[in-house]
Amino acid sequence: MILHALNDYYQRRQRSPDPQDRLPALGFEEKEIPFVIEIDAYGQLINVADTRTIVGKKKIGQRFLVPQGVKKTSKVAANLLWDTAEYVVGVDTKGKPERVVEQHAAFCIRIEGLSPVARQDTGIQAVLAFCKNINLKQFEALPVWPDILAVNPNMTFRLHGDVELVCQRPAVVSSAIPVASDESKIGLCLVSGEPASIERLHPAIKGVWGAQSSGANIVSFNLDAFNSYGKLQGANAPLGKPAVFAYTTALNHLLARDSRQRIQVGDASTVFWAEEAHDLETALPDLFGEPPKDNPNRGADALKALYQSIQSGKFTRGDANTRFHVLGLAPNAARIAIRFWETATALELGRRIAGHFDDIKIARAPHEPQHLSLFRLLRGIAVQGKADNIAPNLGGEVMRAILEGLPL
Amino acid sequence: MKTYCIELAGDFACFTRPEMKVERVSYDVMTPSSTRACFEAILWKPAIRWHVRKIEVLKPIRWINLRRNEVAGVVSTRNVETAMKSGTGDLGLYVEDERQQRAGLFLRDVAYRVHADIEFKRQADPSGSAMKYQEMFERRATKGQCVNQPYLGCREFAAWFRFIPEGAMESTAIDETRDLGFMLHDLDFSNRNDPQPRFFRAKIENGVVNIPALDSAEVRA
Repeated sequence: MILHALNDYYQRRQRSPDPQDRLPALGFEEKEIPFVIEIDAYGQLINVADTRTIVGKKKIGQRFLVPQGVKKTSKVAANLLWDTAEYVVGVDTKGKPERVVEQHAAFCIRIEGLSPVARQDTGIQAVLAFCKNINLKQFEALPVWPDILAVNPNMTFRLHGDVELVCQRPAVVSSAIPVASDESKIGLCLVSGEPASIERLHPAIKGVWGAQSSGANIVSFNLDAFNSYGKLQGANAPLGKPAVFAYTTALNHLLARDSRQRIQVGDASTVFWAEEAHDLETALPDLFGEPPKDNPNRGADALKALYQSIQSGKFTRGDANTRFHVLGLAPNAARIAIRFWETATALELGRRIAGHFDDIKIARAPHEPQHLSLFRLLRGIAVQGKADNIAPNLGGEVMRAILEGLPL
Repeated sequence: MKTYCIELAGDFACFTRPEMKVERVSYDVMTPSSTRACFEAILWKPAIRWHVRKIEVLKPIRWINLRRNEVAGVVSTRNVETAMKSGTGDLGLYVEDERQQRAGLFLRDVAYRVHADIEFKRQADPSGSAMKYQEMFERRATKGQCVNQPYLGCREFAAWFRFIPEGAMESTAIDETRDLGFMLHDLDFSNRNDPQPRFFRAKIENGVVNIPALDSAEVRA
């Protein structure tokens, strides 16, 4: 049900008439790339652009639409036209020079493996010329070089004078759609119900708080004890490649750092979506989260709007009977556990949330906020009022109680 | 083809979804394969095969989230064979080295009324008859006899069962109608070395899930 609903959400976004509203198509993903290498048509290095901006205390790179990366394991495997500094430039950042040579070779081979039509493109030819003669001295002279050596970040190419990256040029985009490899078996996809080639390892879900930084999986069979009936890895839960791409892309998008459709409740990263564009989708972070300092009334306004919608039975955008889904995810190292899953009509959910706010009405001084955010409620129960001491299950259980209309 | 009915109830249940098998998430209602296992717990012989027809949900669907300590590895069959041949060996699985914590979203306070019938395979018992096995089941079920305690999805979630004779007045199923998506029907063991899962589109209508036959068109292969 959960993967089915995520798949439907992906399809709904793809059907949107506005191209900006669509999620990456099959074979592409959005990736943060902090450094872009600008080269001229002959492959000479011109500059390395730093796309990072300071967000809070960290520097975050800009997000680009790039060909989907391969699942990284301990083997050497290169992505197409973008990868970490070790693959792209061949510089050793961890003290393993032989492996770096292999990595760079794999990166060049991947580009050479493109179709002849794509290889004629000036961008590709420039990149190939660059890869053949890399002059590390030029790189070492750059001011951002120590940062690159320390972090081993993602890098990609742009032809000087272009706006888009080399991997976003039309010739590359049309040939980057992956060809199904013959090694995967055909089976029945349990999301679509149709025969499809079964995905062995699912792409990682990033953005779940507390999971490992390289991403974690919902569908994962990473240890012997988890296999059944002699099946290995993905064969334990047969899902077709299109369905896998759809649900992982949709979930990664909902969990993105700047997404308006996620909130953090204790240790559960909660995402929500509706079957069509709906008010409540963007109202939930305002209702449950801490209001931002520059607009302390946002929570109160959102609550007023919610009460109005319930009384009138109508929402400004979207129907009252639209199905609304809420999914709570908790980390467990390389796996993701589902804390709760709720499906209800928007009106029903709105009523339950309003019921929650009625339940927690507290007499207060006029200068205090009208209602307490979920975070403050949980912190009030924790030992010494510290966020770290919130019992691990509690966030998920409280959210589930609110959404199901159970006693808190 | 007499259809038998038993009522199963338990405190917890976990009909694990295949795609969320490690961090367990349960299906909303009982699966046909776990129903079959409950009937087989009461009576099973090589000559019979149970076919589940209907599952009625008697209590509202409620969830609970639990985190349990389990292990990461399995005992290797090679070690077992070596130990069998040589007479001694260390087959212990030391939990401290293998501990894995697995969370699960389980069902709470479940009760189902399930209907199934027996298929008699004559080639396995040339001298018997369908009547023989039906009477066996009726005797055992009325007495509450079973080979192993029936369980709701996972062995640790024991179920209590009660035989419901024909024509008895029983409580109605819950009033719920929705589409449950694709659900695991059962596994096809025709190829013993590579069992294949079979799925069907499950719909709960007024608290009743009708199960199509395993070889019918509704069950996707």
